[in-house]
Amino acid sequence: MARMAPPDELNRIQSSLAGDTEVLAALVKEHQRMVLAVTYRMTGSLADAEDLAQEAFLRAFRQLNSFRAESKFSTWLCQIAVNLSLNWRAREKQRGDVHSKWVENLISETDARDPLPDELSRRVQQALNRLPPKQRAAIVLTVYEERSHAEAAKLLNCTEATISWRVFAARQKLKRFLKGVSHEPL
Amino acid sequence: MNRFELDSILKKARWPEPPEAFWEEFPQQVARRFNRKRAENRPLRRSWFPRLAWGVATALCVLIAFAIGHWRGRVEMEVIPPKDVLADAKIVHETLAMFPNRVRAIIEDERGMSLVLSDNDNVPASEALYIRICNGKQCASVVTFSGQEIQIAGQKVTVLSDAQGGIILEGTGFVWSSGGGNYAEKNLKIEARNLGEVL
Repeated sequence: MARMAPPDELNRIQSSLAGDTEVLAALVKEHQRMVLAVTYRMTGSLADAEDLAQEAFLRAFRQLNSFRAESKFSTWLCQIAVNLSLNWRAREKQRGDVHSKWVENLISETDARDPLPDELSRRVQQALNRLPPKQRAAIVLTVYEERSHAEAAKLLNCTEATISWRVFAARQKLKRFLKGVSHEPL
Repeated sequence: MNRFELDSILKKARWPEPPEAFWEEFPQQVARRFNRKRAENRPLRRSWFPRLAWGVATALCVLIAFAIGHWRGRVEMEVIPPKDVLADAKIVHETLAMFPNRVRAIIEDERGMSLVLSDNDNVPASEALYIRICNGKQCASVVTFSGQEIQIAGQKVTVLSDAQGGIILEGTGFVWSSGGGNYAEKNLKIEARNLGEVL
């Protein structure tokens, strides 16, 4: 079922379009954690995640005219953030040699620059980094953002069956990568 | 590890959230960047007037240039002498064929073409001669034959040709020869050639 933008949200978007900077900043504040979490899970790099999050907001505000109230603003924002991250991954992959080499570098970079709070978080992020980007996007949206397969399919512009397959394939890999990690509460 | 156990592990994983100061600053950063972009775009949106002015000015220039060109074209067309139809051997040949031994001259001047015919077919069959005389801006061409007396470009001219194919024109107060002897008035410009071979 599609989540519609509430009337209050539409009013605030209209105010932003009219040039109300305070409302614009308030909208950013409301969604910034979600957007940054998505871009971080997708990139594994906090610095890149911050850049992508800013870019996602700017793109969203620049394209506010084309925002249709058929979905919530957060859904639309999430879609922009995921697509930007996927494009970023594609560009980064082109810059490097092979995916695996890139992942190795990324893992070591991640460890050095963005110290994760604990060992489990580090292992999980490393495992996510090793997933192909589209499978990772499927996990980020369905597990972390708790979107349904239908919503994720809409956001990633593919069929629900494709999302189900990507989630399934990603889970198989993650189980392998995270073998030995306890699911019990710490 | 089943699906729920995996999800539990994934959700337990935290990410290195930036400090609180970052969350305070981030919305302002986005707003500033957005406003800067909007400000950069604004002059472009409002620049319709200068662009319109330039467009109108360019259109006016083109219009004026076109008008001047058109006017000059008309003026030049007026001063250009009429097309020298008599230089076309085919036309001359056809005209002579229509009136055998009666054509004394075919004259082309600013009034158009005119034919000077003899009452009888007594014009001797000889080589046709092409003559063009310009008296200032007044020009006329004629195709005629040796021995004919014609009125051309305000001049009464007797046309003669010699045995070597040379052409001599004799008018009131001037004598002109294709061989080089030129006693014509200064403002008289004469050109003549034998059309015999062409016809």
